[in-house]
Amino acid sequence: MKAPGGPPLLSVRNLDAGYGHVRVLQNVSLSVDAGRIVALVGRNGAGKSTLLRTLSGLNRAASGEITFDGQNIAGLRPHAIVAAGLLHVAEGRRLFRRQSVADNIELGRYGLRLGAEQHRQRMDRIHELFPVLQEKKDLPAGGLSGGQQQMLAIAQAMMREPKLLMLDEPSLGLAPVLVDQVLSAILTLRAQRVAILLVEQMVERALEIADEACVMQNGRMIASGPANEIATGDALRAAFMGDHGAPGHLQS
Amino acid sequence: MDFDVVAHGIVAGSLYALVAVSFNILYRPTNVFNFAQGELVMLGAMIFASATSLAGMPWFAAFVATLVAVGLIGLVEERIAVAPILARSQTGTGWVITTLAVSLIISNLVGRFWGPDPILVKPPEPLSMEALDLGPSRISSYEIMLVIVTIVLVAIVESAYRTLKGKAVMAVAEDREAALLRGIDPGSLRRWSFFLGAAFAAMTGVLAAPILYASTSLGPDLLLKGFAAAAVGSIGNNRGALIAGYLIGVTEALGASLLSPGYQEAVIFIVVLTVLLLRPQGLFGSSTARTV
Repeated sequence: MKAPGGPPLLSVRNLDAGYGHVRVLQNVSLSVDAGRIVALVGRNGAGKSTLLRTLSGLNRAASGEITFDGQNIAGLRPHAIVAAGLLHVAEGRRLFRRQSVADNIELGRYGLRLGAEQHRQRMDRIHELFPVLQEKKDLPAGGLSGGQQQMLAIAQAMMREPKLLMLDEPSLGLAPVLVDQVLSAILTLRAQRVAILLVEQMVERALEIADEACVMQNGRMIASGPANEIATGDALRAAFMGDHGAPGHLQS
Repeated sequence: MDFDVVAHGIVAGSLYALVAVSFNILYRPTNVFNFAQGELVMLGAMIFASATSLAGMPWFAAFVATLVAVGLIGLVEERIAVAPILARSQTGTGWVITTLAVSLIISNLVGRFWGPDPILVKPPEPLSMEALDLGPSRISSYEIMLVIVTIVLVAIVESAYRTLKGKAVMAVAEDREAALLRGIDPGSLRRWSFFLGAAFAAMTGVLAAPILYASTSLGPDLLLKGFAAAAVGSIGNNRGALIAGYLIGVTEALGASLLSPGYQEAVIFIVVLTVLLLRPQGLFGSSTARTV
């Protein structure tokens, strides 16, 4: 938690990154304050997932600064970044499908020493938010529905009480009622002072719940600001309809 | 069918199962098949034989020292032969050559140092290799104990996978990147697996020594049959390895007794190839392919 006007929880400055010799991110800057929801929007291929992968250490930054909670995390290995409190729920609900729901949640705290009381509290918080995970605790994770899998992936991250949770396309492939559930879970997490960096294809829904928003296009950050301003601004329109865009990308 | 032949087949099969389990310990979190595993078994037997028969160390002290020494060699192997390859590419397969190289290096060094003569290793008191008079079978008390110990060891290894660390190993095996994002460090699990897999191989060597003698020829033979047991029992599946070990041990013993000792290896390969032709994933694997 920071005092108003203090340094942001996550601060990215002039980040360049990519895969091999292909430069995907160019001069990207971004900041996320504690307990805020920041929506990161842009067309497919704009570099949103690459940005998240670079922040969580799966990809190497070619240059630039990444400061998280006062610590320089650029170049740290993924498990060290997780230990610092920056959690990334990757696209496509990457669970351990052959292990049970309960085991998946337990794996969320791997390497973390929790007292019995602390452990119970975290489990209670998870089950309060996602009661269905308690009902299905003995099922293999691969047997859950898409929405339940998304909940489980978030629950795994919650075992660590992250300071910042990065969610990549949490609504992908979910029925509308489940999208509502997942988005309301995000609001609950914010109420618990978890900052959220949300990559979402349902742009309008994301901007509704977000405090701030950033727009990416072709690997660059073209706009950032309060979510309501971004929602009505030109940058969003340009990002989705520029060059060869189609209006259909803006879903309602 | 001669009961005694089957009994000895099960004893030999237990050893093959142990080698297969040592393969699996390493393979699960790394997807690396360590071709030096047979020589690590041999090294375990040689170090233990020297410590007890030549240096006169007590059985248990020599046992622990052997496991730690070979475990550390496994760790060195991981550092120099495996880690650099996987650092370049997680899906690289250069370890096929580098672990084979480690195997040759160990084999040559041991041959130079100890010479080709087999060393007799006595079983720990009060067990002995003397045949017990058990009616149809002429099996020794040590061999009976070996079969029991093997089953217990497989149960212990399997229960280790039910701990959180064991579940993390399975998580890395299923989706390495997802494991990374949960704070699991696959590098650390890989180092542990090499240490434990090598120590397990050394233990197999110690257990095999009273039956097969400690000699440099132990490695290639156990590598081959241990590999066969791992493949038939489905790679990564320890209970499968145990049953496949028995299957191969008994087949080998029956082949030698019914046909001719010269055919025993041919018989094994007929069994292995038949099983893998009908079920490429082994007898105990699920048919679903791993998602990559």
